[in-house]
Amino acid sequence: MIEINHLSKSYGADASKPNSYKDSSVKKADALKNLTLTIPKGELFCFLGPNGAGKTTTIKILTGLLQASSGSVLINGKDPSKDHITSKRIIGYIPDMPYLYERLTTTEFFEFTGELYDIDRDAINQRLEDSFSLFGLQEYKNVLVKDLSHGLRQRLIYASTFLHDPQILFIDEPLIGLDPYTIRLIKDLLKKKAENGMTIFLTTHILALAEDIAHRIGIILRGELVELGTLPELYEKHGKNNLEDIFLSLTGN
Amino acid sequence: MSFESAIIKKIKFTFVNLGRILSIQSKLKVFFILVFTIGLIAGMWLIFYSGFRYLDTISGFGSIIINKLFTFFFLGMGLMLIFSSIITSYSTLFRSEEIPFLIVRPISYNQITLYKFFESTLLSSWAFVFIILPYMGAFAAYNKMSVFFAFWTMLFSIPFLIVCSGIGSFLIIIFVRISQKVKNAFSFSLIFLCLILVVYLYFSPSVYVDEELEVFNISRVLPGLNLAANPILPSFWTSEGIMALTNGQVFRGFMFLFLLVLTATGTLFIISDLGGVLFYSTWLAVVEGRQNSQRKPLLFKKLETILFFLPHDIKAMVKKDIRIFFRDPVQWSQVLIFFGLIGLYFVNLRNFNYHEIDAMWRNLIAFLNVFCLSMVLSSLGSRFIYPQLSLEGQGFWVIGLSPTTMKRIILTKFFSSLFAMIFISVLLILISSFMLNVSIYVQAITIFLIGSVSIAVCGLSTGLGAIFIDLKQRNPAAIVSGFGGTLNLILSLCFMVVSIVPVGLILHLETTYKITGQTANNLLILTGLWVVVVVLCSSILPLTMGIRSLNKKKGF
Repeated sequence: MIEINHLSKSYGADASKPNSYKDSSVKKADALKNLTLTIPKGELFCFLGPNGAGKTTTIKILTGLLQASSGSVLINGKDPSKDHITSKRIIGYIPDMPYLYERLTTTEFFEFTGELYDIDRDAINQRLEDSFSLFGLQEYKNVLVKDLSHGLRQRLIYASTFLHDPQILFIDEPLIGLDPYTIRLIKDLLKKKAENGMTIFLTTHILALAEDIAHRIGIILRGELVELGTLPELYEKHGKNNLEDIFLSLTGN
Repeated sequence: MSFESAIIKKIKFTFVNLGRILSIQSKLKVFFILVFTIGLIAGMWLIFYSGFRYLDTISGFGSIIINKLFTFFFLGMGLMLIFSSIITSYSTLFRSEEIPFLIVRPISYNQITLYKFFESTLLSSWAFVFIILPYMGAFAAYNKMSVFFAFWTMLFSIPFLIVCSGIGSFLIIIFVRISQKVKNAFSFSLIFLCLILVVYLYFSPSVYVDEELEVFNISRVLPGLNLAANPILPSFWTSEGIMALTNGQVFRGFMFLFLLVLTATGTLFIISDLGGVLFYSTWLAVVEGRQNSQRKPLLFKKLETILFFLPHDIKAMVKKDIRIFFRDPVQWSQVLIFFGLIGLYFVNLRNFNYHEIDAMWRNLIAFLNVFCLSMVLSSLGSRFIYPQLSLEGQGFWVIGLSPTTMKRIILTKFFSSLFAMIFISVLLILISSFMLNVSIYVQAITIFLIGSVSIAVCGLSTGLGAIFIDLKQRNPAAIVSGFGGTLNLILSLCFMVVSIVPVGLILHLETTYKITGQTANNLLILTGLWVVVVVLCSSILPLTMGIRSLNKKKGF
């Protein structure tokens, strides 16, 4: 479960001082304003919003790559800033522009990731076979990462992220650069993982994806959560029967 | 499986794969690199060996100087390693794209800091092998030392390297931490420079103990010799320890080794603890600083007026580069520190009473200053000018697709960096000449030389930067320490040797009356022509090749 309480982020505030955003002498740009949200276990939550709305900022705060100016986050009931190592063992993160070690082969990268999570060798080998087969990476086992296409890199990132069975998964733009086959594969996989109890928080610009897989949708605009609910709830509330119309009416485009 | 073993395996795989990549490279290219490397080390060895032989001809105290130089060498290496570490540690700790990957993993910040510390130690030090190997080889050969000398040198070098790199990493973490806290980064840099000045004044050696002794002339020329013998410095422990063990003084040698290992271990603990306490919050602040989009135009408004004479495309590129340079504190603070330190030394020349010593020594110091400044220019060329095209990164298409030519892009980079470099270096040499009270004749020659070095360094760095352009790499340290960056540094240093040394030699022969004034003049004219030819080759050739290479690569 993810609990976000009154989360705010102002660029220009001192990251090391949690409440320095209140200092009026500091020139700030508000990226996130008082976001409060709870995502229960097993929910697939889609976070939508126009460019610069605060989606990536939220995900970065949740994964520890940015510090909030105020507010708090609980991951499975625990404050990740108190024991970040324990929290990171149960989360997985797929950024929109993932970093990969160019001079490792796909197998070596997979093994390296597993070792960072202290997974034993036999388990890594077993999961390597399963994941590589699932993501169609079998024939690229000995290929250097630098020689992979963008789509294959994304597949490798997915394979290695699922390696330690995260309980909570954050994905920033999950379908960038993927072919239709892989898109279907990822969508089915995310649905299945959520059914099995994984909490998934994803941001996307692809509204059809949200319509297709999301249990609940949140729409953020200029750092503020302007809408939240299940798809039927949103349709009913706005009297519209497609997400695109709702999104455009809310974001003013 | 621990983080450490995962990292060690990753490094092992990386090197194995690097070998795989190299094995499919052109054999001719690999052969050329090998021959060049061996030739460079052999050439450096010969220069050092000849230097030792020359010093030995100075009757009475030649061997004393050679042994003192051994201690001095480690002090110099130590200082260079600290500077190098300051520069690379910033890139590896705060700008590396690997950090977010590691931060979201269950790894402690101490471990991340230590791992990146070792990476930056490796990146900042491996090029020094090209200086250490020939110097130590020449020293051992000249003194006919046993094979154990090499063993002890290697053994002492590891903790020495850790200590020096640790000081650099420590300073940069603290510097970045404080600079994120203070609003005016420029004022902070000035305070930082003042602190360096205080440390410098504290350690600054006193000269003139006995005017009667000739040996004190050497003390005047190389005042750092006294500093190098300061027993609190790790460089002193290293040199003394190696010499002690080589000469069979086991107890004394192991005492220094123990002291050094203990300090290195302490350094690792400090870096690790510092990482645990400060790294994460400092990294966050740096990231946030980069993401804060509110920027004031400051003096940039006036750029439009100042650069009125430039064509629109060139003006646009120059303005962009100036803005990026001044908006990146790492860039301008490093330049400020490098030139600031050297300027501080030049301004202090009269405090050593250098202007009162023999003309021969003053000329020698003037040329050593040109040499020293040229080394700094070569380093800055490799650090800032060489990677500037690569650092355009994926944004290069903006320039690449604009209605301008690659030739104009490269020449703009060349001339803008040359303008900045020549302005600062000539100013510094004028200060040096004034302080040393050298003749107009020597002044003109030193300005000619530093101008030539500036042109060659800018030409080489811009040209090679275009030939070895790497738009995917975002880490400047990795770009600089790659093959192209190293080749650039080596060629820049080679240029210095073939252009400055002959002129210095002729003036030395003239002042010691080994050749007549007329012969010296004739030789200087010939050498001047030689330098012009070498400057033209070192600038036009790489620039032309760079333009051709970029034209071929169009479309990335």
